[in-house]
Amino acid sequence: MKPPPVDYAAPETLDAAVGLLAGDLDAKVLAGGQSLVPLLSMRLAFPDLLVDLGRIAGLDEIRESGRHLVIGAMVRQRDAETSEQVAGRCPLVVQALRHVAHPQIRARGTVGGSVAHADPAGELPAVAIALDARVRVRGPEGDRVVPAAELYRGMLTTSLAPAEIVTAVEFPVDGEGSGSACVEVAPRAGDFAVCGAVARVSTVGGVVAEARLALFGVADRPLRAAAAEAALRETPAAEAPGVAAALATEDVAFADDPQIPAGYRRQLAAVLARRAVAQAVEAAA
Amino acid sequence: MSAPAGGVFGAPLKRKEDPRLLRGDGRYIADLKAHGMLAAAIVRSPHPHAWIRSVDASAAREDPRTIAVLTAEDLPDLPPLPCIDAEETTRPFNQPVIAADKVRYVGEPVAVVVAEDRYVAEDVAELVVVDYEPLPAVTDAEQAMEPGAPVLHEETNLCDTLEYRIGDPDAAFEAAPRVLAERFATQRYAGMPMETRGAIAEWDPRAEKVTLTTSTQVPNAVKRDICASLGMPESRVRVLVPDVGGAFGVKIQTYPEEILLCFLARRLGRPVKWIEDRWEHIVATTHGREQFHDVEVAYDDEGRVLAIRDRCVTNTGAYLQRLTLVEPFIGVAMLTGPYDVTDFEATAHVVMTNKAPMNPFRGVGHVQAAFTMERIMDTIARDLGLDPAEVRLRNMIPPEELPRPRGLANVLAGEIIYDSGDYAECLRRALALSGYDDFRAEQEEQRRRGRLLGIGIGAFVEETGLGPYEMGSVRIEPSGQVVVHTGACTSGQGHLTTLAQIAADTLAVDMADVDVRYGDTDLVRWGVGTYASRTAAIGGTAVRNAAVGVREKALAIASTMLEADVKDLELSGGRVSIVGSPAGPGVSLAEVAAAAAPGQPLPEGVESYGVEATDIFHPKTNTFAYGVHVSKVEVDPATGIVTLLEHHVVNDSGTVINPLVLDGQVQGGVAFGIGGALLEEVVYDDDGQPRNPSFMEYLLPADGNVPDITVEHMVVPTPLNPDGIKGGGEGGAVGSPAAIAGAVADAIHPGRVTATPITPARVFAALVEAGLVEPEAGRA
Amino acid sequence: MSRHTITLTVNGALHTEEVEARLTLADLLRERLDLTATHLGCEHGVCGACTVLVDGRAARSCTTLAVQADGAAIRTLEGLAADGAELHPVQQALWEKHGMQCGFCTPGIVMSLVELLERDPQPSGEAITETLGGHLCRCTGYVKIREAALEAVRLSAQAGSGTHTPEAR
Repeated sequence: MKPPPVDYAAPETLDAAVGLLAGDLDAKVLAGGQSLVPLLSMRLAFPDLLVDLGRIAGLDEIRESGRHLVIGAMVRQRDAETSEQVAGRCPLVVQALRHVAHPQIRARGTVGGSVAHADPAGELPAVAIALDARVRVRGPEGDRVVPAAELYRGMLTTSLAPAEIVTAVEFPVDGEGSGSACVEVAPRAGDFAVCGAVARVSTVGGVVAEARLALFGVADRPLRAAAAEAALRETPAAEAPGVAAALATEDVAFADDPQIPAGYRRQLAAVLARRAVAQAVEAAA
Repeated sequence: MSAPAGGVFGAPLKRKEDPRLLRGDGRYIADLKAHGMLAAAIVRSPHPHAWIRSVDASAAREDPRTIAVLTAEDLPDLPPLPCIDAEETTRPFNQPVIAADKVRYVGEPVAVVVAEDRYVAEDVAELVVVDYEPLPAVTDAEQAMEPGAPVLHEETNLCDTLEYRIGDPDAAFEAAPRVLAERFATQRYAGMPMETRGAIAEWDPRAEKVTLTTSTQVPNAVKRDICASLGMPESRVRVLVPDVGGAFGVKIQTYPEEILLCFLARRLGRPVKWIEDRWEHIVATTHGREQFHDVEVAYDDEGRVLAIRDRCVTNTGAYLQRLTLVEPFIGVAMLTGPYDVTDFEATAHVVMTNKAPMNPFRGVGHVQAAFTMERIMDTIARDLGLDPAEVRLRNMIPPEELPRPRGLANVLAGEIIYDSGDYAECLRRALALSGYDDFRAEQEEQRRRGRLLGIGIGAFVEETGLGPYEMGSVRIEPSGQVVVHTGACTSGQGHLTTLAQIAADTLAVDMADVDVRYGDTDLVRWGVGTYASRTAAIGGTAVRNAAVGVREKALAIASTMLEADVKDLELSGGRVSIVGSPAGPGVSLAEVAAAAAPGQPLPEGVESYGVEATDIFHPKTNTFAYGVHVSKVEVDPATGIVTLLEHHVVNDSGTVINPLVLDGQVQGGVAFGIGGALLEEVVYDDDGQPRNPSFMEYLLPADGNVPDITVEHMVVPTPLNPDGIKGGGEGGAVGSPAAIAGAVADAIHPGRVTATPITPARVFAALVEAGLVEPEAGRA
Repeated sequence: MSRHTITLTVNGALHTEEVEARLTLADLLRERLDLTATHLGCEHGVCGACTVLVDGRAARSCTTLAVQADGAAIRTLEGLAADGAELHPVQQALWEKHGMQCGFCTPGIVMSLVELLERDPQPSGEAITETLGGHLCRCTGYVKIREAALEAVRLSAQAGSGTHTPEAR
């Protein structure tokens, strides 16, 4: 299981990287490599060229900009996970990262890589859409910002153009009185989730003021539980988990899978929505 | 057999193996390098069933990076890989070394290419063009037996039917007040060691000899097969065993790659190495367990089992390999486990399908037998409102009735005679160890709060200490060092320590002065190897007998040196001295060895030079280890997820050489059982394509999946060898799925468990069907 | 197929190597530098046998390309108790507690635990569990590895406090 022949470049500027991608349709970005290198080893991917972002300055910073926490695309998952800044400003990112594989993978995997890889069972994409994160991108035409809601198009597919590179992800900073949670079901700790839910809830006086809820592992992309979110607004906190369970799976078409029947996955989604909201409500208190 | 003062036998010693491995000086097959070494890659069938119209290696051969390509055309008249047949009616569906006209499973070898390194070998392997004509595939064993099913070999996929009958089951069923009928099914899974297979073949032109270094459990058998395939005499083939990173049975087979490498090395005159990757391992290394039992059980109102009928079907994959028939046989022959059932009939169908071949791995057949029998016991208990432990106690064979011939004979080892044991006492101890009674009370209490707790019992009896024989030799070197040769191999079981403990105990020397050597067919002519929990019992006995022979000779030599009677002498601290005065006058073992060295007359009364002895121990029959597992679980009613809370084992492997090592074997075995009960499966789709050939999807238990495992040793020695050892490598894997299944069934009652893996989806479905849970979100 | 010259430190020694882009760090260590204690169990990042320290962090060498390690400091098992030095507390603990059987998964586990203890000499049970969660073992059933991890913490603390822990035979 050895990778096929491939070329490699480690440009020192973002524009140089974009230029390499624009010049070769079979070029692929190499960030942490924790998703890409296994695909190469299994000879399931045959890029011509790997464009390593690791030498480009400025992509691995965590900083705040207005009401956003800006995490550079090359920030290692382990660094984001252990950052007091991230824990303080947007704890859902930390909670989600703790479920991603194992610390030995998170030592190399990157936040940008996770967001761009668009694994439907991925935790960070679900967080991105739940919180209406914004993804900063540099391409041949320059910089643009893509709302997370417009990013995920399908299985491992984003709306990014071929030569566009994620440079940073902006997560809105949590407001007062909010709590969050990431819960999932996986056969072993760190495995790809069979099903999961992320939630952030803010309460005022025991009543839900705002709720954000997204599911992952339920379709070909993460899904925002909009109906549940709408119903949760102004619901007493104690009733919120039940409301989430009842409505989170509305409008979700669950596919049958030889190991996981559709009805069972629906059950998991509902239960996890309930538990995520319950934990978020408790954290908000 | 009383041991002289030594104190190491039975002691929980740290292993001699570890410091070297911990420092990074292990040498597993992939670590070894030889001058001029090349790398091979195998071209494997992507189809589960297809005619091979042609194999065009021309593009590969023309590529300057390619050193060699071999296909079936280059190797005509190669005998197929051997299989131990049960009887003449077995159809000879043996596996060819390399596919010629047909492929029968995804991953079957079709060609081998050689290049300078593995990266390049994989590149040029892609240049071999095989023209296949795909055929319909069959993966389900029952479908494979139907008329009109795709046939893999000739005429039929039903390779063999084994039939057994003892007593008068018909009469027993006639008279029985109650009968239950059920299918109990176990999935296909595999031994899956952390180290894949691999080998290096080297040709020595001076000795005109092929040396194969291979990650194997059975070097002498591999040598025999190479001699047969290459048409070479014994003196010109040598098999060496490196450090092996786990085997568990999947390395008992002689595999096509081992034969192909020898041909290549001889042809090319350069060493050729092949290391299996994980994808190859999951699709092409042997699997096991896939078997169901359709049982009918006659029983009475007291829960006594009166008779059992078993129709067992084993899905053995595409070919017979060396020991493929063992799993079907043991699945039925050991079904009744520790229970007194003397009216029994069984039919075991051995069915070929387009999956990888099956060969025994840890627990072979016993796992399914125990799972089936223990589910039967629990079902009877529920039916009668009796406690499951009580039902078992009522059925267990009492110790005074052993040894007891079962009336059944074995593919490998001959007649089944349960040698010794106290099954009921083992169960009682397991109940005490696990706090069974207290748990029942807690279970009640928690059920009222909506928590589903369960406790399950897994009792088993297992064939261990298999023959036909094992070789052990011991000698004392002029330095006083004790060298032990064994035909056993090791892949983590600590044999270099445990066998040393036997020798050190017999000769009263320091463990540091004992060196155990193995894994070289030039050194060990008559070895068999390690599998079927045989090394401690059979290999250990051979070492014991040889060491006793050395002891006797050493004392005889010393008696002439010290002018004392043998009965007045004793061994301690590497010296022979007068009984009672270990620090007094005496001779060291080095001096004894020197006195018997050639170049001088032999000491009086001594008939040969050297202080050494060899024993080839042939056990009369094999032994039967046994045990009882108790599992405690909690089931989450909302998701069906099973959490293992505790696992307890009372294990009787007879006399224990090293309790620390045995604990490790039992715990490791339990982890296997957890995998088999809850997580592991080699999945094929209906078209015969493997669905999960990576570690992302083949789910080995991780740390978080394994609870605390307590192990208690019970010792009822076997009369079949001087030390009374039975064998403990597999028991952990045998009783655990049964116990876990019982615990889940107990938690979800009236929901039922009749198959593994017990996935959360299946548990949830059972809960819904039993009316214990309403799905959330309203819809099923 | 591009070739690149990389320089990296392995167990304190500087190496300059010319490598193909596709060569994994694991194969650089094993085949080029003859440091074979880093084992390959799956080559897709799951089993953990190939875990080494990259710039002080436990990481999979099978899912890291050698070119990505240009300029990095790598530590492997061979560097822990080199030249007959006393075993590291993690190694000693695994020996004492019978935390290894075939030894194939062991090097990766050792390196992960070494990182953990260097980062936090008094790790919580949860931190130990999280670290061990990244490693598959087929032989031990993990129970004795867990015991060894706790023992390693104890031995480490002892060593840190100046109490000499002799290497027993």
